[in-house]
Amino acid sequence: MTAVAAPPPRPLWRRLLGFNLLTALVLGVGGWYVGWFGAHAVKGLSIAYFADTDYNELSVVMAYIGGVVGFLVGLGFLNYPIARMRGYPPSLREKETHGWTRYFSLCTDHKVVGIQYLWGIGLFFFIGGLNAMLIRTELLRPNHQVFPAGTYLTIVGMHGTMMMGMMTSGILGPFANYLVPIMIGARRMAFPRIEALTFWLLMAAGTILTSTIFFGGFPTGWTGYAPLSNEGNPGMDNYLLFFALVGISMTLLGLNMIATVLTMRAPGLTWTRLPIFVWGVLSTAVLMVLAAPVLIATLGMEMLDRTAQTTFFVAAGGGSSYLYQNLFWVFGHPEVYILALPGFAIVLELLPVFSRKPLWGYRLAVGGLLGVSLLSWFVWQHHLFVSGINGDLRPFYMLSTELISIPTGFTFLCGMMTLWRGNIRFTVPMLFCLAWFFNFLIGGLSGVFLSDVPSDVTTHGSFFSMAHFHYTIMGGLVFTFFAAIYYWVPKMTGWELNERLGKVHFWTMFIFFNSTFFPLFIAGFEGQPRRVVTYSSHLQFLNDWVSVSAFLLGISMLVFLFNLVWSLAFVKKPAEANPWSSRSIEFQLPSPVPVHNFDRIPVFSSDPYGYGEGPVPTWVAPAGAPAGSE
Amino acid sequence: MAEPLAYEGTGYEIVEEEPPEVLGRNLISASYLLAGATAFFFIAFVFAYFYLRSLNNGGLWKPHGVDASIGWGTAVVACYVLSAVLVRLGLTDHRALRRAQWRQKGGAALLVGVVGLVLQVIAWTHQSFGPADGGFASVYFGWTAFLFLFVLGTLLWLEMTFATSLRYRTMETQAPPPGHASGDPHREAHDIRDPLSLVRAELVGLSFYWTFLAGIAVLSWIVLYLV
Repeated sequence: MTAVAAPPPRPLWRRLLGFNLLTALVLGVGGWYVGWFGAHAVKGLSIAYFADTDYNELSVVMAYIGGVVGFLVGLGFLNYPIARMRGYPPSLREKETHGWTRYFSLCTDHKVVGIQYLWGIGLFFFIGGLNAMLIRTELLRPNHQVFPAGTYLTIVGMHGTMMMGMMTSGILGPFANYLVPIMIGARRMAFPRIEALTFWLLMAAGTILTSTIFFGGFPTGWTGYAPLSNEGNPGMDNYLLFFALVGISMTLLGLNMIATVLTMRAPGLTWTRLPIFVWGVLSTAVLMVLAAPVLIATLGMEMLDRTAQTTFFVAAGGGSSYLYQNLFWVFGHPEVYILALPGFAIVLELLPVFSRKPLWGYRLAVGGLLGVSLLSWFVWQHHLFVSGINGDLRPFYMLSTELISIPTGFTFLCGMMTLWRGNIRFTVPMLFCLAWFFNFLIGGLSGVFLSDVPSDVTTHGSFFSMAHFHYTIMGGLVFTFFAAIYYWVPKMTGWELNERLGKVHFWTMFIFFNSTFFPLFIAGFEGQPRRVVTYSSHLQFLNDWVSVSAFLLGISMLVFLFNLVWSLAFVKKPAEANPWSSRSIEFQLPSPVPVHNFDRIPVFSSDPYGYGEGPVPTWVAPAGAPAGSE
Repeated sequence: MAEPLAYEGTGYEIVEEEPPEVLGRNLISASYLLAGATAFFFIAFVFAYFYLRSLNNGGLWKPHGVDASIGWGTAVVACYVLSAVLVRLGLTDHRALRRAQWRQKGGAALLVGVVGLVLQVIAWTHQSFGPADGGFASVYFGWTAFLFLFVLGTLLWLEMTFATSLRYRTMETQAPPPGHASGDPHREAHDIRDPLSLVRAELVGLSFYWTFLAGIAVLSWIVLYLV
């Protein structure tokens, strides 16, 4: 093989003038004003449907749409479509760039996009976490003290919406983008530009949601229920645009993942040899492709209600707010599994490595993942049990919701059986995986109460349901997110994370997570409602306990942040190529992985879980085997 | 000692000249997946239609005088369907190596599709009701507006495929100059070998998706104008 030398880097000032984040921000602000004044021009035409004020909904919507377009133009996303419209043939990649600046521009290397996702989502995850700290500060006293009720609602809404929106791509964004092509023996994702687009759309979305505070915030929490959403401040439009952009990003991300796995597997990588992580990504991606469009359509209707005076969700105009609830949860419940399934997959992927045993019941585990994915479409009305739905519908949705515990149980069973008599190594990633069993068990069992009509009627809208979904989402997804970080970041960056600090992070997070959320079950049973700034004074001790625990939980995140910055920016201890003695293919590559992934496309001869079954496969490739051929 | 799977370094020649079949498969799979996503998008509108219609909240589902013009609606949908049919026929020509005929049909499909969009804009301004006039009016304007955007996107895809065929009409068996579309001046080769051969795969994907979207347009015609 002859290596072509990388082109010499251009001077910094020259790089700053091109299509990059700086240009994107400038054009984004410019586009925002173009949209704003454009909307005012529409108002100048005296079209009756657009409210005749300086601060109307259309202005905000148009401004942000203009801003997003300008942002994407600045990053260079329109260059390729324009070249194609002029008749230039298809190509795969943008101009290759080197050094740190590629992380601030449109880059079509899937590994760069994975790392962009990790830091970008991490930033908004941090903002969402700060909002949680503000919520708990407010709830230190039974009567409101720090924020007015409206501001409190906005903070609650921003926390929930940011977390739910961003974490939909929490695993698939950083880890699937980085790892799936490698795990299947490919050199790229199916559509590298779309891959980059999903990331930058998410960043634009996060900025839009954060800026809701300049437009009065929104009172609806993360669900955006009508009719409250119809009556909300212009900040409500930020919510709608945020979630619509997240929906577009999710759809494209899922589509790209499925197309990649379907069409680009290396020779020998049959469906039964596919790493379980890829199966998890696939089952999640199917949900993304099918559920997110329903969300986009729903938010589109809401946006039309607010800007063009349609009446989809306005009862006085022939619409119905229940329509919103139905449509939102058609997306919303699969969304919960979009969050949970990648967590399952990470646990199942890591357990064999740290138990030194093959994955028990591979096909059962795959069936579990696909079963959850399928059943998640038939449960949405359990969110409407107390909304006055037809009583005859309740038993079906109760049953279907409870049925979903069966495929979820497959995951538990396969995980536990993999641990059974294994040679367990208590590394940091393994500790996070083991914590998942504990947390998700509590989350799952408390879910039975919410799927049961009689107990749901009592606990719906209380802190009980809030504690339940924090156990499933934070206990299920965020713990595995950290497992993935500790497991794969050394491979992604080429530098080790400090293990001692990692264990401090784990134990503080595990203890204070449970100390924060378990008491909220009791608060819920005692009748404390969600999204209300005041509560009964007899619940103050519980709430103070929870608040202090939440602050300590926040400190555990700072331990992680310190570890990340300290290890990656200061210590920079080179990571071994295969620090965990894994049989998975990504660990047979140098750290970090070269730009082209493989010199020759590998040929798979087994699954990656044959621990105790002889040496690691060599993936001998026939000379010149084409990329993606099967 | 087995040979390592990869060496460190940036050897771009390794990722150049990828066989076009790979991206071809990507494109065709993506068009099926996109159709799935599109179906679920419009299911939301179908759901809204039947939900609000059966609810008829305050008798405001379809107040007196709210009737979408069937003439305009038929003209718009006919254009969409005709455009999709032309693309399908163009694909047949392309498969039979009748490239000139494909270009004629592709250009005609583009034109007819754009006419459909223009007619839709005119139709909106000629309805006897506005978006605020009840449940049906909301569904009508929402559904047709989003369908408009989907059709616009599909026509852009058609334009790109058509433009490539047109630009290289005299050299269809030759590759464009090396690195023509890679965007990287340091590249000395295409990242896809024979990128023009991808016109076929693009047409297969496009034709499937456009036919599917035309099917949704027919559904909208039945639901919004006939029922």
